[in-house]
Amino acid sequence: MIEAQALSKRYGAKTAVDAVSFTVQPGKVTGFLGPNGAGKSTTMRMIVGLDNPTGGRVTVNGSPYAQHRAPLREVGALLDAKAVHTKRSAYNHLRAMAATHGIPNSRVREVIELTGLGPVAKKRVGGFSLGMGQRLGIAAALLGDPHTVILDEPVNGLDPEGVQWVRHLAKGLAAEGRTVFLSSHLMSEMALTADHLIVIGRGRIIADAPIQTIIDGQGKVRVRVRADRPQDLLGSLAGEGVSSQVLEPELFEITGVEPRRIAEIALREGVLVYELTPLQVSLEDAYMELTQTEVEYHSHALPASGEAPAPAEGR
Amino acid sequence: MATSTHPAPARESHRKAGPTSGSGVNFGRVLKSEWIKVTTVPSTVILIASTVLVMIGIAALLAWQTTILFDAQSDPDMASQMQGAPDAAEISRDIPGSGLVIGQLLMASLAVVLIASEWATGMIRSTMVAVPRRTPALLAKQLIMALVSFVVGAGAAFLGYLIAQPILGSSDLGFGLGDEGVLLHIINTGSVLALVSIFAMSIGTLVRNTAGGVVTSIGVLLVLPIVVAIFGGGTEWVVDAARFLPSSGGEQMVATTIQEGALNQWQGALVLGGWALVLLVISLIVTKKRDV
Repeated sequence: MIEAQALSKRYGAKTAVDAVSFTVQPGKVTGFLGPNGAGKSTTMRMIVGLDNPTGGRVTVNGSPYAQHRAPLREVGALLDAKAVHTKRSAYNHLRAMAATHGIPNSRVREVIELTGLGPVAKKRVGGFSLGMGQRLGIAAALLGDPHTVILDEPVNGLDPEGVQWVRHLAKGLAAEGRTVFLSSHLMSEMALTADHLIVIGRGRIIADAPIQTIIDGQGKVRVRVRADRPQDLLGSLAGEGVSSQVLEPELFEITGVEPRRIAEIALREGVLVYELTPLQVSLEDAYMELTQTEVEYHSHALPASGEAPAPAEGR
Repeated sequence: MATSTHPAPARESHRKAGPTSGSGVNFGRVLKSEWIKVTTVPSTVILIASTVLVMIGIAALLAWQTTILFDAQSDPDMASQMQGAPDAAEISRDIPGSGLVIGQLLMASLAVVLIASEWATGMIRSTMVAVPRRTPALLAKQLIMALVSFVVGAGAAFLGYLIAQPILGSSDLGFGLGDEGVLLHIINTGSVLALVSIFAMSIGTLVRNTAGGVVTSIGVLLVLPIVVAIFGGGTEWVVDAARFLPSSGGEQMVATTIQEGALNQWQGALVLGGWALVLLVISLIVTKKRDV
């Protein structure tokens, strides 16, 4: 169980994490989703005490990470695959980590087998591919057989077989009752692995709900409607648990109800409807929509030649 | 596993199998971890071995050179031309630890590399996640490096002593371990290296960068005294203050004869040890507060 309360991290004038509060429950895989630079890694680093929060606090299994007597047995973390001395072998790296907790070498060999590092365990880590580095990071995270597992972008650089393996691993750990907290910037990956989703953008939590709710809520049918008396139509729809957004005086979007139902009500109310367009929302779109106002690095279409890009003026 | 469909009971059994008494971090375990780290990077082991060899080699060379000096001084014709040259019998006692300068250069560099390479490679994050209180990890690394340095220094000086004896003996310059100052000189060759390694590793911890750490510590230990000697030699207060440089403290620790008014071996140890301790404490405080 991970509990963050008003957790903040500022670097000078820049706020990386802005008073986030969330709970990661045991027994399920919680996805931590957000675009690059949203504050995922910073949050995870604060959980294991690498970064000191500028505000708020975060506890793991009831106390701050650093106050656990056996931190590696409480939390296993893969924060970045390169947290290894390049001249040391994978086996010796794990042995040195294990020694701090009196974890026997038999467990070191176990996690090496578990992560499929056997053939390269005695080789220098410097020569590892990104995927092997990732596996070594996961091996280190599992050393202490921890109750809580934190994996930052674990599938980065893994081949398809590796990606699937991480998925099974995460689900298996959660099924054993452990807390699994897993970050990614890919919605599609999360849809396959996570049971619960925390979406972060620009340091703020945008959504925190079971994945099904997010898919349903965001993937709900959205219908673009042009009608001559929008207020009458929306008024009659109000009882159906829908939400709406008025774009122009006679143009609006209705979420949560099928187009046919809208047409039925319009017919009953005598409202003239001259457009009724269902808007399909994929999971990816839902995510983009959730985060589009919250991303730090936008990509823009290149300006046409001779045209200067619009200057970003203060509002 | 049959229990996987029942998260709650599985968690209970996991709890029991998890932290039990004696499963946590303690200083002995952190020491063992740091020892594994030192011995599993091949270049570290090679550097330690070569330091010992170089120090012994310098002792042997100096012993041989001293016999030449002694022979020259024994020859009445030559002796008249050598006014002011040091007395061969007197300098022969400094031979065992004569590789100390090069030893400092190598062990100070190694001390910096051991800590700064953790930052360079990202290993420091693994270290700090395993030992989130941080101070035990740094202290363990310091202790391991100081012990290694002591053994390297005292061991090389002792072997240097053994190798120098037959060479010196040929000119009747031999001396025994029991002779005044000899044993202390050998032991303190190790002590100086140990304190220098703490000094350098603390700087490496503060600057978190190998090149910066090596340049800073070597600069203070070996270059600063030369600069002071060249530019401040005539100024009384500079000469006075220079006695409290870390390098001066180290020099006095291994001195076999103490000049009039100079610090003795123990006072020298206080000077060098004081510098090492102050930097160590600062590096621990700063690291505790810093993001890694």
